[in-house]
Amino acid sequence: MNCDLAQENIVLAVYGELPDDRAHQLEQHLATCERCRQELEAVTALQKAMSVLPMAEPSPSLVARTRLRLDEALDAMPSGGWLRRITQSFMRGASRLQSAPVMASALLVAGLAAGAWGGYRAGLHAAVSQAPPNITPAPTVVSDPDNSQIAGVSSITLEPNTENVEVRYSRLVPQTIWGTLDDPQIRELLLLGARGRADAAVHDHSVDLLAQECRARHECAGGPIRNTLMVSLRYDKNAKVRLKALQGLEPYIAVDTRVRDAILEALLKDPDADIRSEAISLLAPVEADSSVRDVLQTVASQDDNPHIRTVSRQYLEQVSQIQ
Amino acid sequence: MPADALRFLSPGKPRIQSSRMAGPVRENLPETDLIREAQAGSRTAFDALVRQYDQAVLRLAMHLTGSEQDAQDIQQEAFLKAYRYLGNFRFECSFYTWIYRIVTNLCLDHLRRRKSRREDQAVVLDSSGEEMDLLTNVSDERSGANPARELDRKYLGQRILSALDELTPRERMVFELKHYQGLRLRTIGEMLNTTEETAKNTLFRATKKLRAKLAELR
Repeated sequence: MNCDLAQENIVLAVYGELPDDRAHQLEQHLATCERCRQELEAVTALQKAMSVLPMAEPSPSLVARTRLRLDEALDAMPSGGWLRRITQSFMRGASRLQSAPVMASALLVAGLAAGAWGGYRAGLHAAVSQAPPNITPAPTVVSDPDNSQIAGVSSITLEPNTENVEVRYSRLVPQTIWGTLDDPQIRELLLLGARGRADAAVHDHSVDLLAQECRARHECAGGPIRNTLMVSLRYDKNAKVRLKALQGLEPYIAVDTRVRDAILEALLKDPDADIRSEAISLLAPVEADSSVRDVLQTVASQDDNPHIRTVSRQYLEQVSQIQ
Repeated sequence: MPADALRFLSPGKPRIQSSRMAGPVRENLPETDLIREAQAGSRTAFDALVRQYDQAVLRLAMHLTGSEQDAQDIQQEAFLKAYRYLGNFRFECSFYTWIYRIVTNLCLDHLRRRKSRREDQAVVLDSSGEEMDLLTNVSDERSGANPARELDRKYLGQRILSALDELTPRERMVFELKHYQGLRLRTIGEMLNTTEETAKNTLFRATKKLRAKLAELR
């Protein structure tokens, strides 16, 4: 190893990047080369000197302020990420669903009024209830083009030597759809509602309805709905929403270990006692599982809430009695 | 014994853990699923992703720019970019690398702008985030029983900053990521969209320049 190479390797060694075989060769070289030994000292000294510059830790208030600012900026990005994402997601979905021409060309407005879910037009309702019970009527979609808005201009072309212009643009057309909770199109919209944050009431209600469908075992086996519920259970700031999501995951506990693990985590870490209680009761069918028992043991001794500690202990006793 | 010299070298700064979230700690939904949910439009999932990285990003930006305000701006821009372009993330690298790539690019832009402006004097932030006034001789309660050492430290800090300022933006970036953030050269290469070999050579140049500058200022 010559000195030039050695000097590079010294830098690598000081920064922990020298592979062992080269480290050995370097040691051999240093044993005989005074200049390089001095080089090693110098680089080590540099490292120490540069470390005098302090690595400031951002203060909690700075972190909080920055998060708040980011939150607001994200909320204010309607025609940026979120809307584009909805469109992309919807367009992907539209190819799967029976796409009426209206849906293929229109964009959805984010605010599905919560009130719209509660009410169905009387005439449509009568028609639905008269239909044979095992046929799901196709959902009705109504457009409101009078209240449409221009979403963006994508191109402007001027015909040469004239004053004729072609402008391409898109419109946001508010639409309303009536259908049943089983309908795939309605489900797709509920998923979008559950993921977006434009309107908290819409978000919460969407998660609620999806959870309800899953709990009633109405063919909720698809991955996206289960994943959305898991994300809501883990991360939603609203305890009521987390509780609904938890209840919606009930049918999957015995069959999907990821769901079971998510619920175990909620039991260990969710700050809301009602949720932790509910988690314990939902774990009943898998209480014999060793990972479940481990968590129950931790909860039995460490949970803040006495009732929860008691219930955990009871479950553990039940399990040991069975065995 | 000289051959023993290597053995006493510290193995380099330990890798800084990606920051954990404050408050009710929520461990990762396997990050892949979280990213997919965020890509599908879930704001909740995206927020959870941000929480995992925003403190580390802020710390990096603060150290590089020396300004809380600039650090905030960089952090904001980085995550807004991530939100806008999340659809382009195809799992070919880790999300950590991807987000840091965005941040380092923004930091490089900042460093280049600052170099061309020249009238900005970077400041040093101490452990409580307060600006260290490197030019005054006023001793404060932090200097404790050894005001001379405190002065020395401040003066050294100034020399260090001045040496760092002489580096090119890329050299400074590589040095920052290696020395202050403790990242491996291979990761640094990925983040700067280059090879590990190039990152190594940049590090060599940076350390050479720094040594020369610090010696000169003594």
